[in-house]
Amino acid sequence: MLAGCLKNNAAAQEALYSRFSPRMLGVCYRFAKNREDAEDMLQDGFIKVFTQIHQYRNEGALEGWIRRIVVHTCINILKKNKKFSDSVDIIHANSIHVKEEVIPSIMQAKQVVECIRTLPLGYRTVLNLYAIEGYSHKEIANMLDIEESTSRSQYTRAKAMLEEILIRKKIIQKQKKRTTFYGAVSPG
Amino acid sequence: MENKFYTDDFEQLLKEKSDQFRMYPSKRVWHSIYNDLHPGRKCPSVAMSMLLIIVLLLVGYLNTGDDTLNRKFTAAADEQAGDAKNNSKKVKNKNRPSSVKGENQQLINAGAEGPAGADNINSAAIADISFLTAADLATGLNNNLAAKHSGVTSVVAKEQPGSNGNAIFQKVDAYIKTNQIFTDIATVNKKKKTRAVAPSNSNNNQDMDEEELVADDPTGSKKIAGELKDADLTVNTLVVLPGLNNAQNAASGSEKSSTKKDLNAKKTLSAAEKSWIENYALLNRPSRRGKWKGRLAIELYTTPAINYRKLNMDTKGSPAGFTNADVNNNVSHKPGLGIEGGIGLSYSYAKNLRLKAGIQYNSTSYGIEADKTSHPILTSVLLNDASTGYSYYHTRTTILANPYNTTALQPVTLHNTTHQVSVPIGIAYKLASVNKLEWFAGASIQPTYVFGGNAYLVSADMKNYVSEPSIMRSWNLNTGFETYINYKLAGFTLQVGPQARYQLLSTYKKRYTLVEKPYAVGVKIGIVKVF
Repeated sequence: MLAGCLKNNAAAQEALYSRFSPRMLGVCYRFAKNREDAEDMLQDGFIKVFTQIHQYRNEGALEGWIRRIVVHTCINILKKNKKFSDSVDIIHANSIHVKEEVIPSIMQAKQVVECIRTLPLGYRTVLNLYAIEGYSHKEIANMLDIEESTSRSQYTRAKAMLEEILIRKKIIQKQKKRTTFYGAVSPG
Repeated sequence: MENKFYTDDFEQLLKEKSDQFRMYPSKRVWHSIYNDLHPGRKCPSVAMSMLLIIVLLLVGYLNTGDDTLNRKFTAAADEQAGDAKNNSKKVKNKNRPSSVKGENQQLINAGAEGPAGADNINSAAIADISFLTAADLATGLNNNLAAKHSGVTSVVAKEQPGSNGNAIFQKVDAYIKTNQIFTDIATVNKKKKTRAVAPSNSNNNQDMDEEELVADDPTGSKKIAGELKDADLTVNTLVVLPGLNNAQNAASGSEKSSTKKDLNAKKTLSAAEKSWIENYALLNRPSRRGKWKGRLAIELYTTPAINYRKLNMDTKGSPAGFTNADVNNNVSHKPGLGIEGGIGLSYSYAKNLRLKAGIQYNSTSYGIEADKTSHPILTSVLLNDASTGYSYYHTRTTILANPYNTTALQPVTLHNTTHQVSVPIGIAYKLASVNKLEWFAGASIQPTYVFGGNAYLVSADMKNYVSEPSIMRSWNLNTGFETYINYKLAGFTLQVGPQARYQLLSTYKKRYTLVEKPYAVGVKIGIVKVF
């Protein structure tokens, strides 16, 4: 399949797309505002995958390589559309109220993903990149053109907010030793 | 200081659940990716659709009744049947003789076996048939065909030296074997009711249930045609045999002798017809007149005319200055000279009905007697306010007075003119025709665009005139009525007659309280050329 993609074989490309697109669309869906935006991100991502397939050096899993391209594509699209203007400033974090009525009643994985999507864009992006995609705050700061401390703060707040949502939805239970922050973060 | 959080379980949950999450994209995503990666193969479905459409069109064209093969094998008989019909006698014949004797026995034997398994008939085989030599066909080929296919007695041929009789026979035989020719002939015959008689077997005459015509000629050429039954394939071929001489005909067998006697008793084809058969039988294709030929004509015309106008009031709401006076009786205007010129197309839809359309230029003008004042005068024009529904006075200054019922100190003639382009669409009906003369009556509707002109408006008290070209409508509608005589000359037709033109909408926009509808009467002079 990979060899066919290197030869720009359409059948091989379609096979690779069919194999990885469901999971990659799930990745895009966590970043996007809606399904249409997620599919647009997926489309751009896979075009980059196929055009840069010759750069894949069999170092690590192909899926991980594709995933990184797709995530970078999602970030670039969000930056290009200036979606981060919707993101929440730390100073105003206290005023955020989670609207439970926007969280649909869904099960398991999709439930969690939908809860993630309810977060403000900035929180959601940092949360996705750090907690799920495994990027460091330094890498996130470079990708989003923000300070590393901002990335840490955003993640802290995002996580707290998400935790609260999941607890309300009874997806998780509150643990006694957890410390939850809703105020401004002191630079450490 | 960085706050620490008990994060392992929570983050692990997020990661696990996110990795489990799947969404299946719509098809358009892959199509977009494919088209981006393979631009040369973009929209394969469109290409396939176009290919399918082309194939369908090709199949439809090939399956129309207007096929070349029909004409190749029936054109001669069709044309000649029409001519020979007056010179021939109807006789009945059904089945052709199944065996033939005579001097062509060698060829008969040579071609007796015929082709085996010749099921595929193609255009090449058909084309070859058209180049059979007369000698080939006149002798063994005809007899061979007669031997193998009941009813076939001759085939059309065009002189083509060097043909191989046997090979040609095989091709013809293969073609006839599929019955394609018979079906085609039957169709053509039924359509055109072409009838001709084959050299009949006199013993079978009484069994014949189809009528045929026979045309014979001194050289022995026979024109043979007949209607075929669709149910069975018993054949009366639609063929013309050139070059047969009487000896060959006589040698064809005793069954034919009686036929020959019958044939000899018939009237003959003219030399010109025979020559046409011999030279163009298979290749003759009747000329197809264009659909438009003789029906479409182009007209060039001009109409000098006298322009008049009729004025009406259209005040809204409160009464105003025009109310108690007929404006037509309070202004001095006189007819003016206008001109119309245009080009049009005329299509003969029916014998007496023609559809017409074209484009023309109109220039209208009429005069207004006015008096030039020594100093500007403040006056007002009555306009309609569309929003309120009432008329109102619009103040203007002017140096033009209405000298009606007074003596003008400085008389001047104002010209209200318009320059128009219109598209007349109409019909013309032929009332009578004698020799080269035709009498027509016509009417048209003319959407019109006014692109220039002058407009002098009478004031509300009718004592002054105000120049206001902007008050004129840009778009208008005219009607035309005409009657004319056509005189046919060599190559073209002269056309002359009176014409009246009336404007349906006011010259001015609705906001002016006065409604002007001009009309013109003139004489139309034109030249018509038929395509």
